[in-house]
Amino acid sequence: MRQRRADEYAEFAAARAGHLYRSACLLTAGDTHLAEDLVQETLGRLYVRWGRMTRVGNPAGYAQTVLTRAFLAHQRRRSSGERATDVFPDLPGAADGDASLRLTLLAALARLPAKDRAVIVLRYWEDRSVEQTADVLNVSSAAVRTRCVRALGRLRELLGEDLSEYARP
Amino acid sequence: MPENQPHDAFEDRLTAALRDTGDQFDADRAALVAGGHARGRRARMRRRAGVLGGAAGIALVGVGGAMLLPEGSPSGPERSSVASSATARPSASATLVPFSGDDLLRELKKLLPKGRFSEEAASGGVNAPGAYAHLVYDDGKGGAAIGVSFARVEPGSRQVRELTECPDETFVEYDDCSTSRLPDGSLLKLYRGYEYPDRRVDTKFWSADLVTAEGQHVTVSEWNSPAEKDAPITRQDPPLSTAQLKEVVTAEVWRRVVDSLPDDPKKPSMSAAPDTRPPGASGEAVVETLAGLLPEKLKVVTRGGQETEYGYVVVDDSKGRSLVQINVQHGMADVAGQLYGNGETLPDGTRVTTRQGPGERGAAGVVMWTADTMRPGTDGFRVVISAFNTGAQHEDATRDAPALTVEQLKEIALSPKWDRMR
Repeated sequence: MRQRRADEYAEFAAARAGHLYRSACLLTAGDTHLAEDLVQETLGRLYVRWGRMTRVGNPAGYAQTVLTRAFLAHQRRRSSGERATDVFPDLPGAADGDASLRLTLLAALARLPAKDRAVIVLRYWEDRSVEQTADVLNVSSAAVRTRCVRALGRLRELLGEDLSEYARP
Repeated sequence: MPENQPHDAFEDRLTAALRDTGDQFDADRAALVAGGHARGRRARMRRRAGVLGGAAGIALVGVGGAMLLPEGSPSGPERSSVASSATARPSASATLVPFSGDDLLRELKKLLPKGRFSEEAASGGVNAPGAYAHLVYDDGKGGAAIGVSFARVEPGSRQVRELTECPDETFVEYDDCSTSRLPDGSLLKLYRGYEYPDRRVDTKFWSADLVTAEGQHVTVSEWNSPAEKDAPITRQDPPLSTAQLKEVVTAEVWRRVVDSLPDDPKKPSMSAAPDTRPPGASGEAVVETLAGLLPEKLKVVTRGGQETEYGYVVVDDSKGRSLVQINVQHGMADVAGQLYGNGETLPDGTRVTTRQGPGERGAAGVVMWTADTMRPGTDGFRVVISAFNTGAQHEDATRDAPALTVEQLKEIALSPKWDRMR
């Protein structure tokens, strides 16, 4: 029984680590060291709670929630207020033309307050609804909407033109 | 696309851009999984040990096949976590059977090729922080000091990166250094350099540092002399090749040694904070700001720094290279008296002192000019900048004076741009 759970955990961690890391890289606006740290922390917490979690269902969604909260807790410890980070991201293969666009996007994310960035990542990368996002962040739906509108406005300002390449039919 | 909010073309493009960008990031997944697993296991172990310790003062928990023995007196029920315990010896905590100094020497000798051993010294680390074994080994070609030491580090932390990254060649001269990731997720650094970075004596210092995904840190070091310092060179090279060093440092027994070390009470708990970086200005921002404040005629040849607080640039004004380094620090108020005793205080309360002296590393003819400043306020915000008449501290002078005057250094250190980092 215990062995089965351990196997399940190992399988889950191996399957989700890559996605969690990519989410973490967006949340941290390209700080890959911090992203690694957050993913390990998230997987560690899941390990401890694995037994209970499997009964809850949707461990992937739960993992994302743990990751987002770990990120926000980290940001709070780091500064008293919301502060945009200004770290140049390490992006693999930064030589081609697309890469500069990606860097532009990460730089724009870096200029958002942490909570706004979390809203953007949950809504547009994780595809969560406003209500689901509100659950993860422990705030009201109205607060998520407000943050979302504000963050989108800021991103539009920062990269409106640049994103035109992503126009899809 | 998220529902219940009207969205427009921009949101679609943003979604596509996030996908595209996110997908570029690819991690060493095995290492992430191993690191997560290790954190989880340790958190669970602490939790169990805490519960048992609080309830009965007895902790017999098997971890990795090893026996945990109770030690010391039982703690009160209010103590819920070993990591938060504030005693030097683990009182209610579960501790693996510790290795004695003799055990460590015996294990080290088993791993070395045949030879004669002398000047043995070791500590199991039970009563002192850290464990080590040290001896002089002679394979017939000359006695050489060899040491192994152990510590526990936070996986994924800045400290791990510092241990496993090769040093910046601007500061340290060495022959060879490489870092690799082993199949089990451990990081291994193999280094061949010198005991004295300025090579005033050519004692060679070779080492191997292993940091496992679980935060076990093992260092094996060797010299081509029977002592680290102040002993004659007895042979061309240290006795163990890089491959042999790797074999010794990765021996399984050392991991058990690290596991048996008592918790360092001064260290924060592992699970409390994934963030182990000290608060501080990002090194990149420091370098960026420094570069922006340099006179225009100076060309920046290279730049670098640490994760926080420290950065450097090497500049060239066509008369030769000049290293300019800067520290941006917080919480230095307690040493202000020592630092600025001979300095001046500006009308706004900023303290300033300047120094012109020889370089720190003893290379020929190197001078170091410094402007050291501290802003008024309780945060002890210090900006200190130094310039050298060489491109690397351990290299001899390449020009008469640094590329910046003391006045210019002072001006850079006093720039309001640093205040953004307060």
